[in-house]
Amino acid sequence: MKELQDLARKLLSEGTVKVVIGYEEGPRGARAAFITDPEKADKLIFDTRCVQNLASYLNPRRKQIALLGKPAIVVKGCDARSVAGLLRENQITRDSVVIIAMQCSGVLENPGIESDVELTSENVSVRCGGCDVCEPKLFDHYIKSAHPTVPPVNPKRAEQLAALEKMTPAERWDFWSKELSRCIRCHACREACPMCFCVQCTADKGTPLWIDSSSTPRANRAWQTMRVLHQAGRCVDCMECERACPEHIPLGLLTRYVANSVEKRFDYKAVDDPSVVAPMSVYRPDDDEEFIR
Amino acid sequence: MTQRFLSQAELTALVAELVAAKTRVIAPVRAQDNPEQLDYMPIQKLEEATFGAQVPRRSLKEFFLPATEVLLRYVQTKEGVEIKAAPTEAPPFVIFSATPCDASGLDVVDKVMNWDYKDELWFGRREAATIVSFLCAAMDAVCFCTAVGLGPDSFRGSDVLLVPVEGGYLAHIITPKGEALLKGKGKEEIPASAKAAAEVAQSAAREKVEANLAKIPAEFAGWLAKNFDHPLWKTLSLRCHGCGACASICPTCHCFDIVDEHDSSNEGVRRRNWDSCQTSKFTLHASGHNPRGSQNERFRQRIQHKFSIYPAKFGDILCTGCGRCARACPGGMDLPTIVGELMAMAKAEPEGGSNL
Repeated sequence: MKELQDLARKLLSEGTVKVVIGYEEGPRGARAAFITDPEKADKLIFDTRCVQNLASYLNPRRKQIALLGKPAIVVKGCDARSVAGLLRENQITRDSVVIIAMQCSGVLENPGIESDVELTSENVSVRCGGCDVCEPKLFDHYIKSAHPTVPPVNPKRAEQLAALEKMTPAERWDFWSKELSRCIRCHACREACPMCFCVQCTADKGTPLWIDSSSTPRANRAWQTMRVLHQAGRCVDCMECERACPEHIPLGLLTRYVANSVEKRFDYKAVDDPSVVAPMSVYRPDDDEEFIR
Repeated sequence: MTQRFLSQAELTALVAELVAAKTRVIAPVRAQDNPEQLDYMPIQKLEEATFGAQVPRRSLKEFFLPATEVLLRYVQTKEGVEIKAAPTEAPPFVIFSATPCDASGLDVVDKVMNWDYKDELWFGRREAATIVSFLCAAMDAVCFCTAVGLGPDSFRGSDVLLVPVEGGYLAHIITPKGEALLKGKGKEEIPASAKAAAEVAQSAAREKVEANLAKIPAEFAGWLAKNFDHPLWKTLSLRCHGCGACASICPTCHCFDIVDEHDSSNEGVRRRNWDSCQTSKFTLHASGHNPRGSQNERFRQRIQHKFSIYPAKFGDILCTGCGRCARACPGGMDLPTIVGELMAMAKAEPEGGSNL
């Protein structure tokens, strides 16, 4: 913790950055912090409650953050993949941000106020299972953990995915139709997403109107289908969409399912190396293309 | 206003009687996807409901202003346009174990719904509903109903308020609708011990919430208005995503958008859908200009509307202190803390004003 605080203080006082985006102790647990004063660098924390993917704040639509000046950002290895995504898609430049990567041993699924909760296979975030970025590769500064461990695996996610795989397409259609019937088309999923950076979303277009803005079965399915297809090969499974959803729709499961499909078809996972080209933005002569035969 | 004593059995029988008469009964039940949370849902018998355990994750708003609803259907014919408006009358329904904050929220929103135009759909449902609230003992650290002038035992918006006492409930009957619901039920004679116990429970509940946030003073609305351009707005909402989840679950956020959606080339529907000032599209002009260009301005609007504009116009804070926004925010925005900080600033510089 001290290493992180000292680094933030140094970056701010020498003027390398104007703001350090990290985590602090909030009134209800860990929350995002925007430290602009080196004197306040001691507020920074990092523990198992730091679930939020802060890379969302680098999204160019976050104008209130851009107004603060050049940022340094605290990322877990998984969040670094979002930063890589924003770099890969030319939303930010590498010299416009200082990346402080934390060695992470997993985070909680539902963090509360207590800071020293030990991770178990029951309370660990479903996305920590099989983590291959506990030691991130994309960073300017790397802060090692005092007690690095491999995060426990929460079996819930594998069970959910297996259940989805087992369904017939008709059953899967019914499952998602039922879940999406709760969607109220508030688009909170989009706003919280680090990778939804379009200046104008198709869902907001009125002329022509592509997707009805009302919450109807047809429009809800159209909206989420469009969103997850746009996320294919881009989503890093941070589940900010699901955390934001006021209707508690398992949106993370939907995006993860699509990410798995991309991995199967294109042998590609959204990685923290921005130089690796995403499958949807490149043509490969050896692509299967079996779906258009 | 009168009081009655109802036993648990009498309350159970009342729900059974309503259900048998095909009256829709709504109460907090364990959420299907998460047994740790409550949702207001239709019930068939009282045992399905969970009384007073916690604040349901969504407010009662959706039963009066659904997230989406049809206003009218239209068909274009050779003769002209045929319009079928949605019926404004609703079948009677009863809500049991509403939190007093949710019931109050409806009463607060009534004012804008009957301001320059009487919203017939809203009032059709308001008239159809009988609301039985339950003394709230479910408050947590983000509840602040007493700060906005309400309370865990507030009568506002409720037709009946139930207070659990030994052997049953003390029912405060607040309105003629409540009187009609409980006509001939329970006993008019209430043991003195039950009355005393109810008073103790009510004041204990109030004290518990009061500890979270001090009452918002009347001058606060004016202070906010004259500090519209204060630099504080530049740093207050940095962590806000602008996702609007707060508005969806808020009992008093009532903004909506009206859209025409075509089913075919000559027929379609006009619907209204929830909208939120927290998203950029809310104020986006056709020219491309947006007067609320960043989240700083959008969050300022949320605070100003709830704590300054609405109070100035209607005499009520547009917030019930239910704390849902703080519980649901994916970015950790915490309204009671923010209001507390703003109140401290107002106290420190009461004469200050940045608009001059």
